[in-house]
Amino acid sequence: MYNFLKKLINFFYREYKINLSGFHDILTNISFFFISIFIFIFSIGPEKETLSLLSVGIVWSLILLSLTLSLRKFYQDDFDNGNLLIMHLNGFSFELICILKTISHFIYVQIPFLISIPIASILLNISFDKIYYLLISFLFGSLILSNLGSISSSMNLLNQRNYLLGSIIVMIFSIPVIIFSVAVINQEENFHYLINILLGILLIVFAINPWASGACLKLALQNN
Amino acid sequence: MRFLVNPNRFNNFSDIIIKPLTIIAGIFIITGLIFSLYLSPDDYQQGSTVRIMYIHVPSAWLSLMTYLIMTIYSIAALAFRTPFGFIINTAVAPIGAVFTLICIISGSLWGKPMWGTWWVWDARLTSVAVLFLVYLIIIFINLSFENRVVREKIAAIFILVGFVNLPIIKFSVDWWNTLHQPATISKLSKPSIDPSMMTPLIIMTFAFIFIGILVAILRVKTEIHNRKHNI
Repeated sequence: MYNFLKKLINFFYREYKINLSGFHDILTNISFFFISIFIFIFSIGPEKETLSLLSVGIVWSLILLSLTLSLRKFYQDDFDNGNLLIMHLNGFSFELICILKTISHFIYVQIPFLISIPIASILLNISFDKIYYLLISFLFGSLILSNLGSISSSMNLLNQRNYLLGSIIVMIFSIPVIIFSVAVINQEENFHYLINILLGILLIVFAINPWASGACLKLALQNN
Repeated sequence: MRFLVNPNRFNNFSDIIIKPLTIIAGIFIITGLIFSLYLSPDDYQQGSTVRIMYIHVPSAWLSLMTYLIMTIYSIAALAFRTPFGFIINTAVAPIGAVFTLICIISGSLWGKPMWGTWWVWDARLTSVAVLFLVYLIIIFINLSFENRVVREKIAAIFILVGFVNLPIIKFSVDWWNTLHQPATISKLSKPSIDPSMMTPLIIMTFAFIFIGILVAILRVKTEIHNRKHNI
């Protein structure tokens, strides 16, 4: 038990060091998010009435876009330099590796987004009580997106030709996430009902993710 | 029933069945077209546009049916290690995509005179469009990996994950208030469609099923041949 805890702590320390040295990647993600918000505002026009109708949808869809663009790094670096195999030989099962990587992706990639969302919503004139709902829906939705990202990027480990396929897979499965998490913000009277649906989706995805991406990791390591 | 899991037996069986199946499919499509275009009555509200139904409904059923078959074969292939399931998956995915496309296009041609618009974002239409995209992604997965073992297993896993969409399509008309009408023909209750329209619909459904099986047999035979000769 003690050994296992030590391994876990070592895993997260290693992830922390990797993400700290590559922090500019995450910053690039966030700056992509902001720049695309600017582009949206230039194309729609700065009128407050249209923006107040569209703003929540804009924020959510741009978060989804900028996350899917960064998914290539989810397993690929560890797979290329052999760390995935070493982790497996050290007694981590593939399913456990998937869960741990998903959690570390949530902590090191999604939490910076959580911080930058209030700034973006101030730029888009979203009112403060809506920001509260936006953050709650992002907290659940980003966990779902991390799980989906784990599935799609493990599917595309050996795919050297078609890099966009992983992003498309995430986007097509994230349609219900977008629907319900935007509805959480726009229909405040149904808040509890919709947040329960979002929580249900999270539990389903959390149950599917380790098996699906574990099988894909095993497949990729066997056929490399 | 070994021909459903064994490539050699499938080849032998399909050699026997393919000529009668062609004739039966031809007879069914001709009688179905005669029934649906001349013998069935006009609808009192929709007029002659109701005849689009005889293309639209069978293709929608078959697009769902194709995905169901692919799911069953993926489970069989991954869990019971029968590689014939992978052959079926690669061969059948474009057929399902074409049926879905026929369903979407005929539906939007029907929607323009009836609803006044080519496309609405209601639950049934959107979920069928998502089904079409899922079929496209399966085809892309089959095209973009170099290693065949990886490609077919990943496609099977993707099919299993994408199965979530099927119940959503089926029950979308019951769960949400949609412009699309709820199911007319169900197993449990008496159908609310007149027999004079029911007959051509059933004949056309069987014609579509036979044509689908015919194309599937040809594609599966090609796939088996390609794998035997490592093309």
